[in-house]
Amino acid sequence: MLEAILGSSSSEKVLIFLVARDEGYAREIARFFSSDLGPIQKQLLKLEAGGVLVSRAAGRTRLFAFNPRYPMIDELKALLAATLQFYPKDLRDRLVMNRRRPRRTGKPL
Amino acid sequence: MSVGELAAHICTQLRGRGIDVVLSGGSCVSIYSSGRYVSNDLDFIETDVGTTRQVREAMRAMGFVQETRYFKHDGVVFLVEFPRGPLAVGKEPVGAIHEIEFSTGTLRIISPTDCVKDRLAAYFHWKDRQSLEQAVLVADSNPIDFAEIQRWSKREGKADQFSEIAGQLRPR
Repeated sequence: MLEAILGSSSSEKVLIFLVARDEGYAREIARFFSSDLGPIQKQLLKLEAGGVLVSRAAGRTRLFAFNPRYPMIDELKALLAATLQFYPKDLRDRLVMNRRRPRRTGKPL
Repeated sequence: MSVGELAAHICTQLRGRGIDVVLSGGSCVSIYSSGRYVSNDLDFIETDVGTTRQVREAMRAMGFVQETRYFKHDGVVFLVEFPRGPLAVGKEPVGAIHEIEFSTGTLRIISPTDCVKDRLAAYFHWKDRQSLEQAVLVADSNPIDFAEIQRWSKREGKADQFSEIAGQLRPR
């Protein structure tokens, strides 16, 4: 839906994922959208270089999130949140309704 | 060559080619604290849009070599980067740009007040205590507009966090 503005569907996937989940890593985002990993990684790095995202290492994984210091962050998130409302309900639910509460190590499913 | 001298040299050379850049980030703390904090990164923000290619050409002409996002020069310990703008602290554009004269040229740099805001933004958002220490260093050595920093903190939604550390920024 934002591809015309952002110039790439991978960029939209990355941003929509992060506005829904707050943070994420390349493989997780690619897997969620059944996309190739390369374009997702490329967009994450591009958005980081542009100051829109920041990243941190968590073990061997690089986690990305919105840069709270990006001057237009509130406006960008508002646009993405509005866009998310037009996504199909099942996709929106899968994005938003992921488990976030802790699960003790070794606890059976 | 000191960080200030190098920054002034680059700034002046770029300006000679019609490219306006302003120094931001940790190296401003180095300059405003007279070296009590050391940063080896020079972050210049371009004030115009679409000058990236001209910047690259000018840096090469000065003998710098580009490696990923950074420009390096033999014998120079500092890395030079041109992060994407806009020139902002938090959600607001920076205020008046300061000019400092060095033997190598004129450096355009964010003001001490904006430098403190810039460091506080990192402290507010990421609880980075090193950034708070840097803000205090700048406030210790330079005249700053305390009321302006208080107003900005409130606009950032960080009034409570500011009141917790305000005492460290007040003139002693």
